[in-house]
Amino acid sequence: MDFVSRESEKLRRARGLASSAMGLGLRAPHYTHLFEHEPELDYFEVISENFLAPSPTARQRLGRVKAGYPIVLHGVGLNLLGHAPLDEAYLEALCRLADAVDAPFVTDHLCWTGAHGVSHHDLLPVPYLPELVELAAERAFEVQRRLGRPFGLENLSSYVEFSGSTLTEWEFYSAVVRAADCWSLLDVNNIYVSSQNHGFDPDRYLAGVDFSRVLQVHLAGHTRESDGTIVDTHDHPVSDPVWALYARAWKMGGPFPTLIEWDAHIPPMPEVLAQLARAAEVHG
Amino acid sequence: MKREAPAWLGELQARFAAAIRTPLERASGTLTAPLSAYDPRLVQALGGAAAKAPQRLAVYNRQYWFRLFDALQTAFPLTARLLGYWSFNDYAGRFLLTHPPRGWNIDEVPSGFDAFFADALQCEDPGRRRALIESARIDAAWRAVFAAEKTPVFRPSDADAARLLDAQLVPSDAVRFVEEHGPLVELRRLLAREPSTGALALPSPLPHSRWWAIAGVGDGVATLPLEAREAELLTLLGRLSIRSALARLEQACTLEERAHLPQRTRAWLARSVAAGFWSAVSFAG
Repeated sequence: MDFVSRESEKLRRARGLASSAMGLGLRAPHYTHLFEHEPELDYFEVISENFLAPSPTARQRLGRVKAGYPIVLHGVGLNLLGHAPLDEAYLEALCRLADAVDAPFVTDHLCWTGAHGVSHHDLLPVPYLPELVELAAERAFEVQRRLGRPFGLENLSSYVEFSGSTLTEWEFYSAVVRAADCWSLLDVNNIYVSSQNHGFDPDRYLAGVDFSRVLQVHLAGHTRESDGTIVDTHDHPVSDPVWALYARAWKMGGPFPTLIEWDAHIPPMPEVLAQLARAAEVHG
Repeated sequence: MKREAPAWLGELQARFAAAIRTPLERASGTLTAPLSAYDPRLVQALGGAAAKAPQRLAVYNRQYWFRLFDALQTAFPLTARLLGYWSFNDYAGRFLLTHPPRGWNIDEVPSGFDAFFADALQCEDPGRRRALIESARIDAAWRAVFAAEKTPVFRPSDADAARLLDAQLVPSDAVRFVEEHGPLVELRRLLAREPSTGALALPSPLPHSRWWAIAGVGDGVATLPLEAREAELLTLLGRLSIRSALARLEQACTLEERAHLPQRTRAWLARSVAAGFWSAVSFAG
């Protein structure tokens, strides 16, 4: 089966991007280079929360980016699996932003971020249980309906797992996406990080992914701490094991849009873009 | 019908949240919480101590605090550098214990830190104390101006001019007036060129205090020096009619100052309008 026939019409429409599109997670240090050099890139992804209640400067910059590139939205504050209901005001603001940038799709994480009125600004895991598949799927379905555009869930990197889980992470993730009839944002680095932290085979994870629902793939760097724990820091180049896992993902489910995230100790933009060039080498 | 989350999820998340918000201890010099501080029931739910659960909870625990410390350091760069990050994080941690993040917008987390800091600051040297409190006010002003919506600038019409004296000017959200007793505003501008986390030496005090307007200009922030009486007038204009503000200022001036006051106030008013310090004029009341 060739790549073109593997990408269904439904998936092609949902992505709204070229099937092998290359994108970058846009961060504040990139703006100067971006506006001066207008690098060749297929799309940018922005953190939704940075623009939901934006400063005029942020809004002005986003307008300039939109003039030259497609923008997809990536959230960190939906709190899909918080015990409280979804935040209506947040959802409304997200819908307005998605309309304003005409985002091909919107994504967030399969996690919780806040509880009992306090937001932790972190992506936190839950036990992998059928009961929570139903909860997450119902909410994800509602988010996608409200957005009126494809909504994708990203798999988490995690440092703990719950002894009460009855599903593997990939079973849980796939079940939620399927039941919600939404989409996946597959983070290959996250698979690797969690596989190392919890001792599972990352290829078993990949084998459990429904690539016909993958809107895009994320790549990022991580840090290994002295006790062996891998922390998803996004402050390094993509590691060799993650490149290897990405190559296997591409073989199994490519083509898919690929995006580099680099969130801390951000080097000059050409260095970040070099990571995308390496991804292109994987594609062959 | 919307499904409710199971009650156990709320309980689990409350335990997890308490663990990751456990205050970090400073005694070891590394800012970590003792692993014994985490709820044993949560540790058990995570596979117990044998599965490295406490050490892994510590990752989330530190991430929570350091992400928020970073948000506060970004919002209060001058204060953080004058204190040094180690000391600044101590105040930030105490602030966050009483003002935990309430929403998705991490940029809101530092709101109110300047007032908290002014109350909480422990510093016996009065000069240093004043400079640190001023630095937090300058940072807060900068932050407010940067985030302010660019509202239309007030330009008086001929019709306005005839009755302007009894009107009140509405200050622009994109302008703040700050006083300093040392060259702190200039120092804040220089910080971007000198990234470091160590404590900066406090600059020598000025012979007299200085005033600045911190104003949003284009997509940046500009600083304009103000004369002391000019700043006093601008502050009065923010809460009184122009007539009342001028009268109050005149009362505060010496006889020598009063001789030149009409000429100077006209120049200051004209400059403030030209610089866009006012968004509207109110004739009510």
